[in-house]
Amino acid sequence: MTICQFFLQGRCRFGDRCWNEHPRGGGGRPHSAGPVRGAGGGWGAASQRYANVIQPPIFKHSTWGGSGDGGGFSGASDFGSPGNKSAVFSQNRFSALSSAHPADGFSDEEQRLLDCVAKDMATWESSGQWMFSCYSPEAGKPNVSGFREFSAEEVRLEYYNCSANNNTENYINSVNQLVQEWRNRLQELKALNASGKESLLSQLKNAVTQPLPSLGFGGQQASSFGFPSFPVSSSSSAASFSFKANPSVPPGNAAAVGSSAAASNPPTFGVTSSPSVPNPVGSGNSSAPSAASFSFKTSGTTSGCGTSGLSGFGSSAAANSSSTAPLPVSATPSAATGTSQSGASSASAAQTAGASGHNVTSAPSAVPNGIASDKLYTPRSELTAEELEQFEAKRFTLGKIPLKPPPIDLLYL
Amino acid sequence: MSSQTVAPRAGPVTGLYPALPAEERSGSRGMALPRLPAVLASSSAGPTRMSLFGSTSGFGTGGTSMFGSTTADNHNPMKDIEVTSPPDDSISCLAFSPPTLPGNFLIAGSWANDVRCWEVQDNGQTIPKAQQMHTGPVLDGCWSDDGSKVFTASCDKTAKMWDLNSNQAIQIAQHDAPVKTIHWIKAPNYSCVMTGSWDKTLKFWDTRSPTPMMTLQLPERCYCADVVHPMAAVATAERGLIVYQLENQPSEFRRIESPLKHQHRCVAIFKDKVNKPTGFALGSIEGRVAIHYINPPNPAKDNFTFKCHRSNGTNTSAPQDIYAVNGIAFHPVHGTLATVGSDGRFSFWDKDARTKLKTSEQLDQPISACCFNHNGNIFAYASSYDWSKGHEFYNPQKKNYIFLRNAAEELKPRNKK
Repeated sequence: MTICQFFLQGRCRFGDRCWNEHPRGGGGRPHSAGPVRGAGGGWGAASQRYANVIQPPIFKHSTWGGSGDGGGFSGASDFGSPGNKSAVFSQNRFSALSSAHPADGFSDEEQRLLDCVAKDMATWESSGQWMFSCYSPEAGKPNVSGFREFSAEEVRLEYYNCSANNNTENYINSVNQLVQEWRNRLQELKALNASGKESLLSQLKNAVTQPLPSLGFGGQQASSFGFPSFPVSSSSSAASFSFKANPSVPPGNAAAVGSSAAASNPPTFGVTSSPSVPNPVGSGNSSAPSAASFSFKTSGTTSGCGTSGLSGFGSSAAANSSSTAPLPVSATPSAATGTSQSGASSASAAQTAGASGHNVTSAPSAVPNGIASDKLYTPRSELTAEELEQFEAKRFTLGKIPLKPPPIDLLYL
Repeated sequence: MSSQTVAPRAGPVTGLYPALPAEERSGSRGMALPRLPAVLASSSAGPTRMSLFGSTSGFGTGGTSMFGSTTADNHNPMKDIEVTSPPDDSISCLAFSPPTLPGNFLIAGSWANDVRCWEVQDNGQTIPKAQQMHTGPVLDGCWSDDGSKVFTASCDKTAKMWDLNSNQAIQIAQHDAPVKTIHWIKAPNYSCVMTGSWDKTLKFWDTRSPTPMMTLQLPERCYCADVVHPMAAVATAERGLIVYQLENQPSEFRRIESPLKHQHRCVAIFKDKVNKPTGFALGSIEGRVAIHYINPPNPAKDNFTFKCHRSNGTNTSAPQDIYAVNGIAFHPVHGTLATVGSDGRFSFWDKDARTKLKTSEQLDQPISACCFNHNGNIFAYASSYDWSKGHEFYNPQKKNYIFLRNAAEELKPRNKK
């Protein structure tokens, strides 16, 4: 077979679909955006047509090896899906063994992510964009820890409240501290050492245990901030991990459920092939699994408010933020298949989530024990009286915000 | 214009504005808001009716501006119509009245704790009508479907319903944290107000009852939402994204993995050719908008993101300045969209042709909000500081503006299919 010239340059759009040969020596390059972009090849072709009207930076950046930026990123929403990953690995399955491979032993996929993170950090630093934002290197990935998220309105409200109390210095100090925190984390990610890379990669792949180190990181800073409305970042960062998909979970189990129910997607969203059910979600028929299996529906479809039933669903979602292991697994089929599969798969996940929602109150006590380094909750016995008082109060008092996580029985699950 | 007798108002008129050019009040049918003469009613208003509106003849037509065009200030480089008596602090939201009301009425919520209402006449003149106050900055506002009520959401953790006939406002919602979004839901079998808050809940309120009809938990603080029946899209902190279906009863439809890498800032639902909501546009702080279809035939090809609101990056050697996308609005007729950003520009885009239609000149302040009126003839955008650079760049003395632009021509799609 003829050797593929594009592959040698590292920019073959067809990946393993390519009819030409991709020699293995050339596959060790980190610039393996080719196979992944192959899935979005259709868009790539279309994009050429519009190249002169879409802003040029999209295409300029695409030559940087940035599948995390510009054209490559914008092509596919299922960018992180298992299908794409297999395309990468089938081409470079033995790349770890090849001598052309970088010495630190990261696969192409991982190297790409690390490069993406480093590049994004450089851009973030130089662009002047909003600092207090979460970040993820790719569409399907969970958020990278260590970035506290505030919207401009929240910060502004803090300023207004502080200036109403003549407390602007407090505000300024808090903001400066947050900025410093952000800069430190950004520098850290821009120049990762080997262990940093390992922890980042495991964070991105396995969204379960990694939130915990950020508890300590965020918690130490929290006490000196004058932002009483967000004292504990732990629950929010944990929430972000638990509902983000673990992309390595294959959608196979969801597909089995989803395929039969695909036709009964609510037609009201404008794209449907099923003419049969006029009110598929609302009526609570068993023929529409997406309706019946939402946990609050099962408790009584005719009640107007259904607050009790809803709290069942609400509790499972809230419990998402506190427990780590059980719920993300059940929630992943919905997230992983979010773009393609029907609501049924998410509904079945919700059902298991709803069912496990009631069990989850006992689970978190089991989960933290399994994690060696940090605990998710502090037993009451370990808290001082002042800390307990802070947790039980409606709001944290400045200067007294506890550094330890709250006891589980004070959380609303 | 006709000159009929002035109808007495039932309630006190709050917020007296400084003396304005002659206000004209047409006769009313019991509403405090005047009814425009039929000749100006925009039932099938084409661009010809608006020929005097928003033309490039300079911004004196509104009868408001005292700025000479010789000054170097760049507060209105697009020479659009300025709304009279703008709020005294940053504008957080804009909304035009629904088609059930004759004429165009604009409400704007601001960080000065007030929400103001203007009548926008076809010749471009804006007449302040009334205002209501909260005890905290107003973050969002919307109209009821019959145009008689305005709902406002505020940092004082409440939402209020403002009856325009009586000019009274009552509290209809309560949260544990500031209420960031408020939308009116009109379903065949129920109507309610949906409020999203930083207390991580989404609550649905029957305005007659102090307890919510329904409470849904969000994974994180609600940052933005949009409702086009029967679909609602809510974007939260930590890149959360949830779509709800509103038929029969609001319920979560799907949690979607964010197509963007950074904080979500604004979301707007778009409809397909048969007027059914089919997807949404999501903007982030990183100068990027994602177009996401709910059930596309080919997700990899149909969903995409595009960069916007960045300083010219044609030379990749110099780092770009990246600005947040503060608002997205879809043209109700053409389906094209407008984005406004912290860089002080607005842009019009055609998402089906994947092209940019127009970018404005740069204003001297960020543009914090935008909206179209019900028939798409008017594009309103607010020029005020959005805190994107922190408190150092906040100047309480700087004037805030709301501009109106004729949107009938500029937002036509690129390719007629």
